[in-house]
Amino acid sequence: MLQKLMRIGAAAATLVLIAGASAGADTIKVGIIGPLSGPFALGGKNFKAGVEAYVAVHGDTVAGNKVEFVYRDLDGPDPGKAKSVAQDLIIKEKVQYLGGVYLTPSAFAIAPMLEEANVPLVIFNAATSSITQKSPLIVRTSFTLWQTAVPLAKQVAKDGVKKLIITVTDYGPGNDAEAAFRKTFEAAGGKVVETIKMPLSAADFSPFLQRVKDSDAEAVFAFLPSGASTVGFAKAYVESGLKEKGIKLLATGDVTEESGLQAVGDAAIGIRTTYHYSLVHDSALNRDFVAAATKAIGNADELSFPAVAAYDGVHVIYKMIEATAGKQDAKTAVQSVSGLAWESPRGPVKIDPVTRSLTQTIYLREVAKENGRLVNKEIASYPDQPDWGLVK
Amino acid sequence: MSAVTARPSPLRGDFIKLAAVALAGLAALVLFPNDLGLMTRIASSAFLVVSLDLVTGYAGIATLGQAALFGLGAYAAANANLAGLGEPILMVAVGGLAGAVAGLIFGAVVLRSRGLAQLVLTIALVQLVHEAANKLSDITGGSDGLSGIDVAPILGAFRFDLYGRTGFVFALVLLLATLAVLSVIVRSPFGLKLRAIGRDPGRVRTLGAAVMPALLVTFTLSGAVAGMGGAIEAISTGVVGLDSVSFERSAMALVMLVLGGSGSLYGAVAGTAVFMGLESIISAANPFHWLIIVGVLLIVVVLFVPRGLTSLAGDVRRLLAIFGLRRDKR
Amino acid sequence: MDTIIGIGLDALAYGMLLFIISIGLSVMMGLMRVINLAHGAFAMVGGYIASYAIRQLGLPYVVAVPTAVAATVVVALPLEFLLFRRIYGGAEPLKQVLMTIGIAFAVIGIVNAVFGPTIKPIPLPGPLHGIVDIASHTMAVHRLVLIVAGLVIAAGLWLAVEKSNFGVRLRAAVDNPDMAAALGIRTDRLYLVTFGIAVALAAFGGIAGAELMPIEPTYALRYMVTFLVVVSVGGAGSTTGALVASLIIGLVDTAGRYLFPSYGMFFTYAAVILIVELAPNGLARRSA
Repeated sequence: MLQKLMRIGAAAATLVLIAGASAGADTIKVGIIGPLSGPFALGGKNFKAGVEAYVAVHGDTVAGNKVEFVYRDLDGPDPGKAKSVAQDLIIKEKVQYLGGVYLTPSAFAIAPMLEEANVPLVIFNAATSSITQKSPLIVRTSFTLWQTAVPLAKQVAKDGVKKLIITVTDYGPGNDAEAAFRKTFEAAGGKVVETIKMPLSAADFSPFLQRVKDSDAEAVFAFLPSGASTVGFAKAYVESGLKEKGIKLLATGDVTEESGLQAVGDAAIGIRTTYHYSLVHDSALNRDFVAAATKAIGNADELSFPAVAAYDGVHVIYKMIEATAGKQDAKTAVQSVSGLAWESPRGPVKIDPVTRSLTQTIYLREVAKENGRLVNKEIASYPDQPDWGLVK
Repeated sequence: MSAVTARPSPLRGDFIKLAAVALAGLAALVLFPNDLGLMTRIASSAFLVVSLDLVTGYAGIATLGQAALFGLGAYAAANANLAGLGEPILMVAVGGLAGAVAGLIFGAVVLRSRGLAQLVLTIALVQLVHEAANKLSDITGGSDGLSGIDVAPILGAFRFDLYGRTGFVFALVLLLATLAVLSVIVRSPFGLKLRAIGRDPGRVRTLGAAVMPALLVTFTLSGAVAGMGGAIEAISTGVVGLDSVSFERSAMALVMLVLGGSGSLYGAVAGTAVFMGLESIISAANPFHWLIIVGVLLIVVVLFVPRGLTSLAGDVRRLLAIFGLRRDKR
Repeated sequence: MDTIIGIGLDALAYGMLLFIISIGLSVMMGLMRVINLAHGAFAMVGGYIASYAIRQLGLPYVVAVPTAVAATVVVALPLEFLLFRRIYGGAEPLKQVLMTIGIAFAVIGIVNAVFGPTIKPIPLPGPLHGIVDIASHTMAVHRLVLIVAGLVIAAGLWLAVEKSNFGVRLRAAVDNPDMAAALGIRTDRLYLVTFGIAVALAAFGGIAGAELMPIEPTYALRYMVTFLVVVSVGGAGSTTGALVASLIIGLVDTAGRYLFPSYGMFFTYAAVILIVELAPNGLARRSA
């Protein structure tokens, strides 16, 4: 009985909150949660650049409502802080939408409160497949590792590689990449001779590559989170002489992430990766996006893949505001974008109604030098890739 | 008991401080009803910092690995929940128990050495626990975090809500109860012995008192307090991440302790509240460059408030002395 | 055999890098008795200045490196007499932790604001860039440079500490600072010089090791634990101890990663616990 009363009370309180929020709905607040400081600060900076680029191109008014973005720093994988930051945005700032979220544990911490708060969350990065299953109000505009690794494994098998060694960082996304690649590669008849899981805190990668050298693999597949470790790994790969020996490095695009790529240097030329987005994707839309985002971030060297997910994320939020005419109705908002397809700077994308992640084109790219800068040049494409982690 | 009755005024002081914490908590509930998420985080972190104070402030053993105990409590409580234990009070008990066992083991390893070597042992231990938690993803969720914690209403009556009212009151009541128990313990003969060990363990040993068992008891007690804090965080957040067993979390706890003033339970609480409160305010005001401000504040505190923030509270004379110290920079 | 040589050389290079950066920390902890959690920040600042000097100012590598080391010392010295001097002496280690972590935070924040969060490369000049074959093992030239630099620094420090007048005063001050001061040794000047040398070595290590530990804002705290472990395993204030500890940790780490790649860090920390339990005062401790 008491429990029932409490529940009714909570529902009433929520109703009051909704009424209060939609009464003055001229300005719609959108909370952006991202790593604006700390080890992942580049990601947060790109979130902001993507958001500002979208606003610069499309304006800040949707269906007669002015949209205002409120930023909050979430510097590391701290679920406790993630929850209180989201609470702060929902309760105090009265945001109608949440966007951003770089790391998976943060998404898990925020997911359970979305329904009670009546707020949709658009994920700009966090890439674990199961995130969208944690709440029906989550939509994702980035990618998953299953999505980027599966086409690569198919391509590698098709290219005739029989024996391969896998090196991934020993944490959630690394395990996802390993599972995706191994399953697909073995199904295509390839053999994984060994799997090396490297500690997240590793500084010198040469011992792992020595191990690769001692195996009889013809190629090595790698996943590491972009940043200091990808630079260290790519350098160690070149220095270990594996490149000369003809053992190819194949990786997801995280390893040749553009800002880190410049630090690896010319030795990276020729490394092949698969990813959902390259800064030099050849389309007018992308050139406009890069111009706007570069202006927003201030330094061309810092522009990177999270910006495009943020750009598309704001697109989705604008569509949701249109569909609900500015009213706070999370369920309708999410339903309205389910199945939504549009042309993104990365190419055609569509929100899969089942997974609420993007179905998108994944590109095979090769590192090349253009105008003095190292870029990921697209050389092949695999259209309509779903999140293979959830779509079997 | 004689030691306690011989010092009636400090005990009364404890009651006043306890009442002050309770009042501050209630005031927060009324004045900042929109910030209860942060307040709950402060309360659960206060457990960690208080537990650190027991070993570092009282027993004189510096550790940079205290979060190992906190996080193990959190993982234990979360696993108990996933196995079907919904009642939050029992989850906290599980966390406290797991923390106590971990604390005993931690103490047994660490107490074999002293000084710098000891400090590094604590670092190595927390890193080992962190690596193990990452590896054992079946029971810890690995780097994705252990999610899916579904807490029942407290005693079947009080449901955890979006605003975090229930969560905050729950954490606050447990914190007050823990502080009350610990105040009695640190004033007891055992507590006095502990302080003596902290100042000069050799002398206590010469006086014929057993040092090692007392320290092991302290580590166990400290582990229980830390584990309870971990459980409370698991309950209020719903996710336990690897950060809860990290070196970074341990180091931040030490920073909060020193900020508030070590060797005083209420200093630990004040340090936690001030640091996390300021961090939240500064990082909301300037989410990009707040770290610079926090860093400079820490330096300023060491320069001008060398004995921690509690040395400021209520003592006007000392306040004046500090301004005096400011004038004659040595 | 090939593999053993490969692992050995990689371990030696990594160990020498740990030595170059950690030795300054070790001397500061032994002499001034200060737990300096901002030591990694000095190495990082050296790296940033070198990167800036080469990429933005266009200085050649051989000029940029000493310039960056000197610039880091110039930036850091005011901190010595404004901040560090107040927390010397082992009486209040907690205060040292609070202040030096504050300095590290501030440096991380400033570097992030000024240079941005991307990794800053330090382009190597042609001769250091390539790879060479040693006993049929492929090795990057810059790793060989690390090994040689580590040996030179170790020999230089050994000579300075054991044979020079400065070393006599240094050792006296480490053993008994009060007595040394009473005998007329200007300890504050000694501390200033030692601080400068420690910062210079850290900055040089940060630059020379940038290929292994890339320069980015969180560098300042990311590797700090490793440096602390080296110092305590070796024993604070001991050059030989720090060298031996660096090489052991370099070897355990590298071999552990090769032999048990998935448990590499387990191996390292377990070894640290074992060494500390066996030699609780460090491998070579100068004073009691």
